[in-house]
Amino acid sequence: MSKSLLVISRQAPWSGPSAREALDIVLAGGAFDLPIGLLFMDDGVFQLASDQNARAVQQKDLGANLQALELFGIDDVFACNHSLEVRGLNAPASAQGLGSDAIAHLLDRYDQVITL
Amino acid sequence: MSTLHVLSHSPFTDTRLDSCLRICGAEDAILLCGDGAYGLQNAALQGKGVKVFVLAEDSQARNLPLPDWADSVDYPGFVQLCVDYDKVNTWL
Repeated sequence: MSKSLLVISRQAPWSGPSAREALDIVLAGGAFDLPIGLLFMDDGVFQLASDQNARAVQQKDLGANLQALELFGIDDVFACNHSLEVRGLNAPASAQGLGSDAIAHLLDRYDQVITL
Repeated sequence: MSTLHVLSHSPFTDTRLDSCLRICGAEDAILLCGDGAYGLQNAALQGKGVKVFVLAEDSQARNLPLPDWADSVDYPGFVQLCVDYDKVNTWL
């Protein structure tokens, strides 16, 4: 049995490569059928905001990568409720909202954690 | 399952420590290194009940007094902690 991995993505989408790299790790893991989870927290939840326009800042859209998660068999996609609330964002359809205690338990469920 | 959270950013300019404390489990511990060592001066860590370690050379370099709620470790101690906890979560 392969080790399970939780990726925590906590950077805003257009501030640097971290957001894309976290998604790439998850998609690569999914392609190899690793048990993998993805948690958006802190500024990472801004990646889930709808109708973003990446081309305005000469970047490639992350939306396509987000949609690919399901295609790659990544069902465990979570978002931190606290991070969403303080940023005035609604709970996105693409991720399951979790409270702080639930996130502490989520970390326990995985063998390894990568925070970007 | 226990997690060792490694923090290397100053908590006074950055939200990593706050977020870490929010999701810290009962058996988890925090290791402060680099500018993360300034966390020793941060009231947020005090009285949280979470175990706190600091890398000795980083607290010494910054002349930070070691509070009674934190323990100092050297590099071999750092490695031992990584072995003792089920996993390591480095807040990059």
